[in-house]
Amino acid sequence: MVTALYLIYLFLPMALLVVGSFGEAWFNTLLPTGTTTQWYVAVYQDPSFRRAFWVSLQVATATCVVGAVIGLPLAYAIYRAASRGVRAAARILYLLPIAVPPLVLAFGFVLVFSSDTLPYLGSLWVLVGGHVVLTLPYLLQTLVGDMRHLRLTELEAAAESLGGGFASRFFDIVLPALRHSLASGLIMVAALSIGEFQLSNLVAGFLTRPYPVVLLQAFYGATGFACAATVILLALALLASFGGATTAQAGQRRMGAAA
Amino acid sequence: MSKTAAVAVENVSFTYPGTQAGVRDITLAIEPGELVAVIGASGCGKSTLLKLIAGFLAPDSGRIRIGGRDMANTPPRARDLGIVFQSYALFPHMTAWENVAYPLKVRGVAAGERRARAHKALDLVGLGAFAERRPGAMSGGQQQRVALARALVFQPRALLLDEPLSALDAAMRLEMRDEIRRLQQAHGIAALHITHDQEEALSMADRVAVMRAGRIEQIDTPRAIYERPATREIAAFVGHANLWPGVVDGPASVATPVGRFVTMPHGLAANTAVTVLVRPERVRPGPAPDGVNTFAGTLARDRFLGALRRFDVAVPGGTITGETGEAGAIGHVHVRPEHVQLLPDGSTNDD
Repeated sequence: MVTALYLIYLFLPMALLVVGSFGEAWFNTLLPTGTTTQWYVAVYQDPSFRRAFWVSLQVATATCVVGAVIGLPLAYAIYRAASRGVRAAARILYLLPIAVPPLVLAFGFVLVFSSDTLPYLGSLWVLVGGHVVLTLPYLLQTLVGDMRHLRLTELEAAAESLGGGFASRFFDIVLPALRHSLASGLIMVAALSIGEFQLSNLVAGFLTRPYPVVLLQAFYGATGFACAATVILLALALLASFGGATTAQAGQRRMGAAA
Repeated sequence: MSKTAAVAVENVSFTYPGTQAGVRDITLAIEPGELVAVIGASGCGKSTLLKLIAGFLAPDSGRIRIGGRDMANTPPRARDLGIVFQSYALFPHMTAWENVAYPLKVRGVAAGERRARAHKALDLVGLGAFAERRPGAMSGGQQQRVALARALVFQPRALLLDEPLSALDAAMRLEMRDEIRRLQQAHGIAALHITHDQEEALSMADRVAVMRAGRIEQIDTPRAIYERPATREIAAFVGHANLWPGVVDGPASVATPVGRFVTMPHGLAANTAVTVLVRPERVRPGPAPDGVNTFAGTLARDRFLGALRRFDVAVPGGTITGETGEAGAIGHVHVRPEHVQLLPDGSTNDD
């Protein structure tokens, strides 16, 4: 019963959005009247929406790449940390961005990057940086959990005893063994980045506004237009997730071929 | 200590920083083709010893030689040791043959040759048909065999086995004992086998080292360890044992709570405190023909074990456990003097 209610709460708005995006007019009726694709055409023809679409894709991709490059060594360091104290400190450190509201983080970014020494507010990289900070905890959780599950230390000790040097251990053992958790972690990162609004709204420049920020404007216009623009965000988030998964798998295939 | 030992541990001590745990003054040599088992309760330092030889830990003092070469500055990957881990530590993303081929790959063996050698190694452990399986799709025993094949395929200088059978069920354990011994002998390789299972150690090893509190208490052939244990603890740990505190009361006798035993001449001074050991299979039912060391009592417990029957006879002052193949009532038991052993008094030992 509770589950059913939950599912209705989750899926009904989405279903209504899809219905609304194809509806010609929607005033004071339960469902819209007439069907049309004009709203999608309108969103497509809107230059600010098109630009925001590409900005969001770029930011999500860059966030995944930077997150993976920072997250893998960091997760490894947390996992291998010998002392209990270091591990606890690391855990607090990487859980903090989850506890701190993105708004607080964003205000900090605004203060730092609007100064004369670092006048980078509005650049794509500040946005990517913010997204990395916000999404890294989720990636770390996934990676550290998988390292424990795999008993990575033992796998590495085995590889070392068999003659594997550092590079071989990393590229033949650690990275391929972690491919599943890396992929699922990056899917989460991509989806979070695509949907992020609070921080993006404050730190994005006019030309680097990601899709959710631009979407807010749509709610002041026609219902059909707003629905269509939101459905596109939904599709974009799904696409990013899919992209995250395939990138990780492609990387794995390359490694398999090299082995 | 022989110069030609495959693995030589010389006066090695190691303490985990900030603790008392570790190993103290360990000296041990494993000859080529020899299997030495190290047994002891958990925390006795036996796994630490393996990690020191493998190079995962560095000794505080002492020296480790492999093939005559000092290993002080040699990292684990250059020690040329095949290690089988308790958890097998197979690489989950690789098939069985890729796992076995890994040590060949890092040694720069050409792709075709390492594939052939890996498959041959899998054939040797009876897993030729499973070469394309991943570890996740194999049973514990099969994973164990892959781990063995992987540890032997690059012809290492020695094989280190870290409780390799403890994760297997009882029947598989017995099978793998023979399998490990067979492979070790077929390769003529020196092996160190860490285990907490004394039966496993006695049945597989050429020599057994018994460790306690970071030290080797005794190292000898399995038979000698069983028949001439150096201490009360070893006697209790290895096999079943009747153990009583005793006091020497004559040149060939000892007094215990269950009565006076006639022994072989022992050369100990009167009133020396000792531990008296009698193995259950040396306790015979019925009175001795000459009446020596005969105890009267009542059968307190009788366990049928198939080929054997292990019984406890309650006598004034304690219990005597014996073993026999024969059925029937038991009212008396006897022990021949040569089967009564005197060990140092256990109570004076540290901890």
